Amino acid sequence: MCTNHSKLSSDNTDLQEVERQWDRREFFKKTSLGLGAMALGSLLNTTNAQGNRKSTPEELLTAFNTNKLGLPHHLPKAKRIVYLFQSGGPSQLDLFDYKPKLVDMYGQDLPDSVRAGQRLTGMSAGQTAFPIAASTLNFKQYGESRAWVSEAMPYLSEIVDDLCFVKSMHTDAINHDPAITFFQTGSQLPGRPSIGSWLSYGLGSDNENLPTFITLVSKNGSGQPLYSRLWGNGFLPTEHQGVQFRAGKDPVLYLSDPENYDGNDRRNMLNYLGKLNDVAYDTYGDPEINARMTQYEMAFRMQTSVPEVTDTSNEPDAIFEMYGEDSRNPGTYAANCLMARKLLEKDVKFVQLFHQGWDQHGNCPGGIKHQSKNTDQATAALIKDLKQRGMLEDTLVVWGGEFGRTVYSQGQLTATNYGRDHHPKAFTMFMAGAGIKPGFTYGETDDFSYNITKDPVHTHDFQATLLHLFGIDHERLVFKHQGRRFRLTDVHGHAVKDILS
Amino acid sequence: MNDVTDFVLFLGRFHPLLVHFPIGFLFFALILELGSKWKKNKNLSAVIPLALFCGAISAFLASVLGYMLSQSGDYQEEMLNTHLWLGIATTCVSFICWAIRTEKLKVAQSTSAKSNTTILILVVLLVSITGHYGGNLTHGSNYLTKYAPFFKEKKVALSPIEKLEDAVVFDYLVQPILHNKCVSCHNSSKKKGNLSLEDSVAIKKGGENGKIIEAGKALTSELIHRTTLAPNHEDFMPPEGKTPLTEEEKQIITYWIDSLNADFTIKINPSKSPKNVLASMASMLHFEGFEKEGETKLPKVEKIDEAILSNLTTKGFKIRELIFESHLYEIVLPDNTITENNQGQLPTMLNELVKIKENILWLSLNNNRVTDENLTPIAQFQNLQKLVLNNNPITDNGISQITNLNSLSSISLHHTSISKSSFDSFEKLKKLKKIYAWNTLVTAEDLKNLKPGLQIILGSPSIVSKTK
Repeated sequence: MCTNHSKLSSDNTDLQEVERQWDRREFFKKTSLGLGAMALGSLLNTTNAQGNRKSTPEELLTAFNTNKLGLPHHLPKAKRIVYLFQSGGPSQLDLFDYKPKLVDMYGQDLPDSVRAGQRLTGMSAGQTAFPIAASTLNFKQYGESRAWVSEAMPYLSEIVDDLCFVKSMHTDAINHDPAITFFQTGSQLPGRPSIGSWLSYGLGSDNENLPTFITLVSKNGSGQPLYSRLWGNGFLPTEHQGVQFRAGKDPVLYLSDPENYDGNDRRNMLNYLGKLNDVAYDTYGDPEINARMTQYEMAFRMQTSVPEVTDTSNEPDAIFEMYGEDSRNPGTYAANCLMARKLLEKDVKFVQLFHQGWDQHGNCPGGIKHQSKNTDQATAALIKDLKQRGMLEDTLVVWGGEFGRTVYSQGQLTATNYGRDHHPKAFTMFMAGAGIKPGFTYGETDDFSYNITKDPVHTHDFQATLLHLFGIDHERLVFKHQGRRFRLTDVHGHAVKDILS
Repeated sequence: MNDVTDFVLFLGRFHPLLVHFPIGFLFFALILELGSKWKKNKNLSAVIPLALFCGAISAFLASVLGYMLSQSGDYQEEMLNTHLWLGIATTCVSFICWAIRTEKLKVAQSTSAKSNTTILILVVLLVSITGHYGGNLTHGSNYLTKYAPFFKEKKVALSPIEKLEDAVVFDYLVQPILHNKCVSCHNSSKKKGNLSLEDSVAIKKGGENGKIIEAGKALTSELIHRTTLAPNHEDFMPPEGKTPLTEEEKQIITYWIDSLNADFTIKINPSKSPKNVLASMASMLHFEGFEKEGETKLPKVEKIDEAILSNLTTKGFKIRELIFESHLYEIVLPDNTITENNQGQLPTMLNELVKIKENILWLSLNNNRVTDENLTPIAQFQNLQKLVLNNNPITDNGISQITNLNSLSSISLHHTSISKSSFDSFEKLKKLKKIYAWNTLVTAEDLKNLKPGLQIILGSPSIVSKTK
């Protein structure tokens, strides 16, 4: 392998074998094609006239960060996003979608005209009756926007004038995993890239020392499992996958050096490994080798940047008080909210929190109160904190689950207790910050919060809107894979312009 | 129309498919005839009777199906009749042609060769003319010639307008939209649903379901209602496969019906039109300088030399192009790039930025020991919309130097030393809306003196950050 002698000539006999692998024919093919490629390269891109091989990590990083996709399509409103995913399907009926008429209909069977033959889940399809369960929680109107919020969310009710409620969300899936996968990737079947990966692929990184897409899963929520493919890169290059930060000694697994291992050794090791990988890339041309090298280098930089960003000891007490007592306990939702703010401050583009446990098939009022207690204060604090730091200007905040819940009770309905089954046809989400109308409510549902009566917003519409805020036309961010051009929104979706400021 | 069964209409819709068979067969017969004459090849002429027979049979079937299709009543009577009789004629003549060819019909021996060719040419002519009329029925009579290089249809051109106020809303906006998106199916010759949108008279007349415009009520007016349905709805217009109306187009027509009471003669009144509608109308008529609500017009700027940009990058600035190839940039100087040790470099660095002053839309200099003097060069950044200066030793003096930033809409100054004395400066900034002033000398009490339209965000007063 004459081209690499300068870089690598090993004493190892096996490697020498690899180096000698070129016969005459291979040599001519390689050199002639290589020259052609170089010539073409210089025609197409004057800044990279030296050929088609990217060798040093710096060059790889520049290539990763350089805008090759013709993006953004228009002026972005958002620079970063924090997506507070409430996994399980929070009950819109007990939180934001106030339906006073239900009180008079307590216990009555849900009219067939409302359900209109909709297929239910196996968990309540067998019920002989579908008794209407009005929320037992008290609702009040708040702020100048007079938004309805239940007693479960006292902290959020203080900041409704910063929020934009979308009460007319609807989705295609009725069970947890397909529904979350649908929200995250635009497809119910696993395998497509998640929103964060699309943004990383499309817009690149604003901080080369941290991943562009970071996820945090609360330890104080439990329920249906979450899988790392939910923040996976699908068929996009691997460096765009979400990186999970965990609570505890190692925020990122396998990142720290073994005890007594010198950081300089690591650097040396990576330099040599880089050369080897370079040779392998030269031989096989597999882009995943480049991705791997980028990842190694990122991991090396993260050895310094992660401990720095995850250290909250410099935060003043008042901040911890604002986020709630839980925020001192790493790994809780509140602590993750605080962590999210710190990551966003470092210009991490996409921070996604997951909080499980919003799956109130039984004991809905109690469950909702419990879940809200763990999340309400920190959510509100995060929004307030971003606002006072001027960051709500270009940070998008999203709160929502994968679907909503039914108006009828799953299982026994009593005066104080009821359960609610999954309901994909209408539910509430809220957004705040960058380019979103503050103090605004969009969309309406019927008296049962069962069907949408005005301005429906489909999951794909939500995704299109999100990309729109980042300056991306969702129809033009595409990736060709196995002969087909893929989009986050598949072949659907339109940006909901009415909620944009 | 109601006395026709669906099944008849269903069969009728195969007419457009079947009509291509007689065209093909009969043309092929002529080609064979010419070929056999030219090459003197007997083998070729042997096939002609078969081609003619197939042509005649398929012409007959096409005629029957065509008659069924015509029962839908979607077509203009006069042109339909012409097409119908020409179709029947084609069928008959092709049968005769076949009969002569196979000598089932005897003509004088001496003239047979000639009459064979003549009648074949006649058949082909007939089928061409019939086809042309059929095409006109389906696609509209100007379909064929619309893009023809010669024979351009002489449209009554709208006289060019100088001012937006001169444009009659219907003539300059509504009618062109309808012509683009609707008239190919709704015109005087092809009246789908018995509706023509060709001119104001026809529009006022409406279609088979009555009037299509209810002045003042756009959403119940059929003209707009149909375009706002879900695209998979049966009544959605334009139908599947045609280009739907854009949001702007719907907005203009809605405005015309709702606010202008569908007046066919009214002109644009810029002072009375809502900003968004006006912007859509202006952009359709290629007038510049009208902005949508919340939309800021972007400046047009020169391309910056790569060398300048890479020089800035080596100095430590992060540069991000905000729109692809707009040459408009967000510039960020990462936290703590400037420390005690290299404080002296900051003025030169900021002066470097002056080279691209027109191109900077957003600028962030958080936590970099920026002082009042350092702000002087920034005063030249005329297109700057967002300025972020948190955690810097900046005072009211600094702010007073940048009061001519006419594009600035938000400025972030938390953890700086500004006070209410800066309010005067803020008021001079024409487009400024938001000021972030948490942990400064500005107090909640001071906000009473603030001009309405400006919003100062103070945050939680009790929090004093240790990082300061």
